Amino acid sequence: PVWYKAPPYRARAVADPRGVLADFGVTLPEETAIRVWDSTAEIRYLVVPMRPAGTEDWSEDRLASLVTRNAMIGTGLALPPEEAA
Amino acid sequence: MNGPHDLGGAHGFGPVVAEENEPVFHADWEKRAFALVMAMGHAAAWHIDTSRHARERTPPAEYLASSYYQIWLAGLERLLVEHGLVSEEEIAAGKSLTPPAKLAAAPADGLVEKLMASSSYERAAPAPARFKAGDPVRARVMNPAGHTRLPRYVRGRTGTIAAIRGCHVFPDAHCGTDNEDPHWLYSVAFAADEVWGPQGRVGDEIYLDLWEPHLEPA
Repeated sequence: PVWYKAPPYRARAVADPRGVLADFGVTLPEETAIRVWDSTAEIRYLVVPMRPAGTEDWSEDRLASLVTRNAMIGTGLALPPEEAA
Repeated sequence: MNGPHDLGGAHGFGPVVAEENEPVFHADWEKRAFALVMAMGHAAAWHIDTSRHARERTPPAEYLASSYYQIWLAGLERLLVEHGLVSEEEIAAGKSLTPPAKLAAAPADGLVEKLMASSSYERAAPAPARFKAGDPVRARVMNPAGHTRLPRYVRGRTGTIAAIRGCHVFPDAHCGTDNEDPHWLYSVAFAADEVWGPQGRVGDEIYLDLWEPHLEPA
Protein backbone atom coordinates (compact mmCIF):
# COMPACT_ATOMS: atom_id res chain seq x y z
CA PRO A 1 0.00 0.00 0.00
CA VAL A 2 0.94 3.64 -0.56
CA TRP A 3 1.22 4.38 3.16
CA TYR A 4 3.88 1.66 3.55
CA LYS A 5 6.11 3.43 1.02
CA ALA A 6 5.45 7.03 2.08
CA PRO A 7 7.55 9.21 4.42
CA PRO A 8 5.25 9.24 7.46
CA TYR A 9 5.47 5.46 7.92
CA ARG A 10 9.09 5.16 6.80
CA ALA A 11 10.14 7.84 9.28
CA ARG A 12 8.06 6.79 12.29
CA ALA A 13 7.80 2.98 12.22
CA VAL A 14 11.33 2.51 13.59
CA ALA A 15 11.12 5.35 16.11
CA ASP A 16 7.50 5.45 17.27
CA PRO A 17 5.78 2.12 16.56
CA ARG A 18 3.04 2.75 19.12
CA GLY A 19 2.28 6.08 17.46
CA VAL A 20 2.04 4.32 14.09
CA LEU A 21 -0.26 1.66 15.58
CA ALA A 22 -2.41 4.43 17.07
CA ASP A 23 -2.78 5.87 13.53
CA PHE A 24 -4.26 2.47 12.63
CA GLY A 25 -6.53 2.47 15.68
CA VAL A 26 -4.52 -0.26 17.39
CA THR A 27 -3.49 -0.09 21.05
CA LEU A 28 -1.39 -2.84 22.55
CA PRO A 29 -1.07 -3.61 26.27
CA GLU A 30 1.61 -1.58 28.06
CA GLU A 31 3.67 -4.67 28.78
CA THR A 32 3.84 -5.79 25.11
CA ALA A 33 7.33 -5.43 23.67
CA ILE A 34 7.36 -4.29 20.04
CA ARG A 35 9.92 -5.43 17.47
CA VAL A 36 10.18 -3.40 14.28
CA TRP A 37 11.85 -5.09 11.29
CA ASP A 38 13.55 -2.64 8.92
CA SER A 39 14.04 -4.50 5.61
CA THR A 40 17.44 -3.05 4.75
CA ALA A 41 18.37 -6.01 2.51
CA GLU A 42 16.33 -8.09 0.02
CA ILE A 43 14.74 -10.26 2.73
CA ARG A 44 11.09 -9.49 3.44
CA TYR A 45 9.30 -10.21 6.67
CA LEU A 46 5.68 -11.11 7.42
CA VAL A 47 3.87 -11.15 10.73
CA VAL A 48 1.98 -14.30 11.65
CA PRO A 49 -0.97 -12.74 13.49
CA MET A 50 -1.84 -13.87 17.00
CA ARG A 51 -4.79 -16.23 17.14
CA PRO A 52 -7.87 -14.23 18.17
CA ALA A 53 -9.57 -15.29 21.38
CA GLY A 54 -12.47 -17.70 20.91
CA THR A 55 -11.09 -19.44 17.78
CA GLU A 56 -9.27 -22.33 19.41
CA ASP A 57 -11.34 -24.96 17.57
CA TRP A 58 -11.38 -23.23 14.17
CA SER A 59 -10.06 -24.89 11.01
CA GLU A 60 -7.20 -23.37 9.03
CA ASP A 61 -9.56 -22.07 6.32
CA ARG A 62 -11.84 -20.48 8.88
CA LEU A 63 -8.89 -18.85 10.64
CA ALA A 64 -7.65 -17.55 7.27
CA SER A 65 -10.88 -15.55 6.98
CA LEU A 66 -9.74 -13.51 10.00
CA VAL A 67 -6.33 -12.62 8.58
CA THR A 68 -5.95 -9.16 7.04
CA ARG A 69 -3.10 -7.69 5.02
CA ASN A 70 -2.36 -5.14 7.74
CA ALA A 71 -2.23 -7.94 10.33
CA MET A 72 0.52 -9.55 8.25
CA ILE A 73 2.42 -6.26 8.00
CA GLY A 74 2.00 -5.69 11.74
CA THR A 75 -0.13 -2.54 11.70
CA GLY A 76 -3.31 -4.41 12.54
CA LEU A 77 -4.58 -7.38 14.48
CA ALA A 78 -6.41 -10.35 13.01
CA LEU A 79 -10.19 -9.89 13.00
CA PRO A 80 -12.14 -11.12 16.01
CA PRO A 81 -14.38 -14.15 15.30
CA GLU A 82 -17.55 -12.08 15.01
CA GLU A 83 -16.01 -10.09 12.11
CA ALA A 84 -15.00 -13.05 9.93
CA ALA A 85 -14.87 -12.01 6.26
CA MET B 1 24.35 8.36 0.89
CA ASN B 2 22.52 10.44 3.49
CA GLY B 3 19.75 11.01 1.00
CA PRO B 4 16.05 11.81 1.30
CA HIS B 5 15.23 8.10 1.37
CA ASP B 6 17.05 7.59 4.69
CA LEU B 7 14.06 8.56 6.74
CA GLY B 8 14.20 6.40 9.88
CA GLY B 9 13.66 8.66 12.87
CA ALA B 10 12.83 11.80 10.89
CA HIS B 11 10.20 14.13 12.39
CA GLY B 12 7.54 16.34 10.90
CA PHE B 13 5.91 14.08 8.34
CA GLY B 14 2.66 13.74 10.22
CA PRO B 15 0.39 10.74 10.76
CA VAL B 16 0.22 7.62 8.65
CA VAL B 17 -2.87 7.99 6.46
CA ALA B 18 -4.24 4.83 4.90
CA GLU B 19 -6.61 5.03 1.93
CA GLU B 20 -9.65 2.75 2.18
CA ASN B 21 -9.87 0.14 -0.60
CA GLU B 22 -6.80 1.59 -2.21
CA PRO B 23 -6.22 0.61 -5.87
CA VAL B 24 -2.87 -0.94 -6.80
CA PHE B 25 -2.26 1.93 -9.23
CA HIS B 26 -3.83 5.37 -8.90
CA ALA B 27 -3.44 6.35 -12.56
CA ASP B 28 -2.56 4.71 -15.87
CA TRP B 29 0.81 6.45 -15.97
CA GLU B 30 1.79 4.64 -12.75
CA LYS B 31 1.22 1.30 -14.47
CA ARG B 32 3.43 2.39 -17.38
CA ALA B 33 6.12 3.74 -15.04
CA PHE B 34 6.17 0.42 -13.17
CA ALA B 35 6.26 -1.57 -16.43
CA LEU B 36 9.04 0.60 -17.89
CA VAL B 37 11.22 0.12 -14.81
CA MET B 38 10.61 -3.64 -14.84
CA ALA B 39 11.25 -3.85 -18.60
CA MET B 40 14.58 -2.04 -18.20
CA GLY B 41 15.49 -4.75 -15.71
CA HIS B 42 15.24 -7.21 -18.60
CA ALA B 43 17.40 -4.96 -20.75
CA ALA B 44 20.12 -5.52 -18.15
CA ALA B 45 21.45 -2.00 -18.62
CA TRP B 46 21.72 -1.73 -14.83
CA HIS B 47 20.73 -3.73 -11.75
CA ILE B 48 18.57 -3.22 -8.69
CA ASP B 49 21.23 -1.61 -6.50
CA THR B 50 22.01 0.96 -9.20
CA SER B 51 18.27 1.54 -9.65
CA ARG B 52 17.71 2.11 -5.96
CA HIS B 53 20.62 4.57 -5.74
CA ALA B 54 19.30 6.46 -8.76
CA ARG B 55 16.07 7.10 -6.83
CA GLU B 56 18.00 8.14 -3.73
CA ARG B 57 19.89 10.71 -5.83
CA THR B 58 16.68 12.58 -6.57
CA PRO B 59 17.16 16.02 -4.97
CA PRO B 60 15.59 15.96 -1.48
CA ALA B 61 12.99 18.67 -2.02
CA GLU B 62 11.80 16.88 -5.19
CA TYR B 63 11.93 13.41 -3.59
CA LEU B 64 9.90 14.35 -0.53
CA ALA B 65 7.25 16.08 -2.67
CA SER B 66 6.95 13.04 -4.96
CA SER B 67 4.66 10.05 -4.87
CA TYR B 68 6.16 6.58 -4.97
CA TYR B 69 5.90 6.10 -8.73
CA GLN B 70 7.06 9.64 -9.37
CA ILE B 71 10.23 8.64 -7.55
CA TRP B 72 10.49 5.48 -9.67
CA LEU B 73 10.09 7.55 -12.85
CA ALA B 74 12.66 10.11 -11.71
CA GLY B 75 15.17 7.34 -11.03
CA LEU B 76 14.47 5.73 -14.40
CA GLU B 77 14.90 9.02 -16.29
CA ARG B 78 18.14 9.70 -14.41
CA LEU B 79 19.59 6.32 -15.44
CA LEU B 80 18.36 6.52 -19.04
CA VAL B 81 20.09 9.88 -19.48
CA GLU B 82 23.26 8.82 -17.66
CA HIS B 83 23.51 5.70 -19.83
CA GLY B 84 23.00 7.72 -23.01
CA LEU B 85 19.82 5.83 -23.90
CA VAL B 86 17.56 8.87 -23.79
CA SER B 87 18.54 12.55 -23.96
CA GLU B 88 17.28 15.41 -21.80
CA GLU B 89 15.84 16.92 -25.00
CA GLU B 90 13.86 13.73 -25.67
CA ILE B 91 12.45 13.69 -22.15
CA ALA B 92 11.41 17.32 -22.53
CA ALA B 93 9.94 16.64 -25.97
CA GLY B 94 8.17 13.51 -24.76
CA LYS B 95 9.26 11.55 -27.80
CA SER B 96 12.23 9.92 -29.47
CA LEU B 97 14.41 12.34 -31.47
CA THR B 98 17.17 9.93 -32.52
CA PRO B 99 17.22 6.27 -33.56
CA PRO B 100 16.79 3.98 -30.52
CA ALA B 101 19.70 2.09 -29.00
CA LYS B 102 19.65 -1.70 -29.28
CA LEU B 103 19.02 -3.49 -25.99
CA ALA B 104 18.19 -7.09 -25.11
CA ALA B 105 15.41 -8.53 -27.26
CA ALA B 106 12.21 -9.56 -25.53
CA PRO B 107 11.50 -13.31 -25.59
CA ALA B 108 8.57 -14.58 -27.69
CA ASP B 109 6.49 -15.08 -24.57
CA GLY B 110 6.74 -15.31 -20.81
CA LEU B 111 8.34 -11.86 -20.47
CA VAL B 112 5.96 -10.61 -17.78
CA GLU B 113 6.40 -13.79 -15.75
CA LYS B 114 10.16 -13.52 -16.11
CA LEU B 115 10.19 -9.88 -15.04
CA MET B 116 7.92 -10.50 -12.05
CA ALA B 117 9.90 -13.51 -10.81
CA SER B 118 11.94 -12.53 -7.80
CA SER B 119 15.69 -12.99 -7.94
CA SER B 120 17.92 -14.54 -5.35
CA TYR B 121 20.82 -12.42 -4.23
CA GLU B 122 22.42 -15.20 -2.23
CA ARG B 123 25.99 -16.08 -3.30
CA ALA B 124 28.88 -18.30 -2.30
CA ALA B 125 30.65 -17.27 0.90
CA PRO B 126 34.02 -15.54 0.44
CA ALA B 127 35.14 -16.55 3.95
CA PRO B 128 33.64 -17.96 7.17
CA ALA B 129 31.15 -15.75 8.95
CA ARG B 130 32.82 -13.39 11.41
CA PHE B 131 29.85 -13.24 13.78
CA LYS B 132 27.40 -15.72 15.25
CA ALA B 133 23.99 -15.37 16.86
CA GLY B 134 24.23 -13.68 20.23
CA ASP B 135 27.42 -11.74 19.45
CA PRO B 136 27.36 -8.07 20.49
CA VAL B 137 28.19 -5.86 17.49
CA ARG B 138 28.37 -2.18 16.71
CA ALA B 139 27.11 -0.67 13.49
CA ARG B 140 30.13 1.19 12.13
CA VAL B 141 30.31 4.95 12.10
CA MET B 142 30.64 5.91 8.45
CA ASN B 143 29.35 8.65 6.19
CA PRO B 144 29.54 7.38 2.61
CA ALA B 145 28.39 9.71 -0.17
CA GLY B 146 27.66 6.66 -2.31
CA HIS B 147 25.08 3.94 -1.90
CA THR B 148 24.82 2.13 1.43
CA ARG B 149 22.13 0.04 3.09
CA LEU B 150 23.25 1.13 6.56
CA PRO B 151 20.78 3.79 7.73
CA ARG B 152 22.06 6.80 9.64
CA TYR B 153 19.90 6.09 12.67
CA VAL B 154 21.90 2.99 13.76
CA ARG B 155 25.45 4.06 12.88
CA GLY B 156 27.57 3.78 16.00
CA ARG B 157 24.85 1.90 17.91
CA THR B 158 25.44 -1.42 19.65
CA GLY B 159 23.20 -4.39 18.97
CA THR B 160 23.16 -8.18 19.05
CA ILE B 161 23.34 -10.65 16.16
CA ALA B 162 19.89 -12.25 16.01
CA ALA B 163 20.41 -14.51 12.98
CA ILE B 164 22.79 -15.22 10.13
CA ARG B 165 21.08 -14.91 6.72
CA GLY B 166 23.78 -16.35 4.44
CA CYS B 167 25.98 -14.49 1.97
CA HIS B 168 24.40 -11.96 -0.30
CA VAL B 169 25.34 -9.48 -3.00
CA PHE B 170 26.66 -6.40 -1.18
CA PRO B 171 24.78 -3.32 -2.46
CA ASP B 172 27.30 -0.79 -1.14
CA ALA B 173 29.92 -2.25 -3.52
CA HIS B 174 27.58 -3.48 -6.27
CA CYS B 175 25.94 -0.12 -6.97
CA GLY B 176 27.18 1.21 -10.30
CA THR B 177 29.53 -1.75 -10.85
CA ASP B 178 29.53 -5.43 -11.86
CA ASN B 179 31.23 -6.33 -8.59
CA GLU B 180 28.74 -8.31 -6.48
CA ASP B 181 31.27 -8.53 -3.60
CA PRO B 182 29.12 -10.93 -1.54
CA HIS B 183 29.33 -10.72 2.23
CA TRP B 184 27.64 -12.37 5.19
CA LEU B 185 24.27 -10.80 6.00
CA TYR B 186 22.97 -10.66 9.58
CA SER B 187 19.73 -9.71 11.26
CA VAL B 188 20.86 -7.44 14.10
CA ALA B 189 18.65 -6.47 17.05
CA PHE B 190 19.02 -2.99 18.52
CA ALA B 191 17.32 -1.94 21.74
CA ALA B 192 15.03 1.03 21.12
CA ASP B 193 16.51 3.03 23.99
CA GLU B 194 20.04 2.35 22.71
CA VAL B 195 19.04 3.91 19.37
CA TRP B 196 16.74 6.73 20.51
CA GLY B 197 17.82 7.34 24.11
CA PRO B 198 15.02 8.54 26.39
CA GLN B 199 12.62 8.66 23.43
CA GLY B 200 13.05 4.91 22.84
CA ARG B 201 10.77 2.60 24.77
CA VAL B 202 12.62 0.13 27.03
CA GLY B 203 11.82 -3.39 25.88
CA ASP B 204 11.16 -2.47 22.25
CA GLU B 205 13.68 -3.49 19.59
CA ILE B 206 14.53 -2.63 16.00
CA TYR B 207 15.87 -5.39 13.73
CA LEU B 208 17.95 -4.49 10.67
CA ASP B 209 19.58 -6.70 8.05
CA LEU B 210 23.20 -5.57 7.86
CA TRP B 211 26.22 -6.92 6.01
CA GLU B 212 29.48 -7.82 7.70
CA PRO B 213 31.31 -4.69 6.42
CA HIS B 214 28.67 -2.62 8.26
CA LEU B 215 29.56 -4.20 11.60
CA GLU B 216 32.42 -4.43 14.07
CA PRO B 217 32.66 -6.38 17.34
CA ALA B 218 31.29 -4.45 20.29
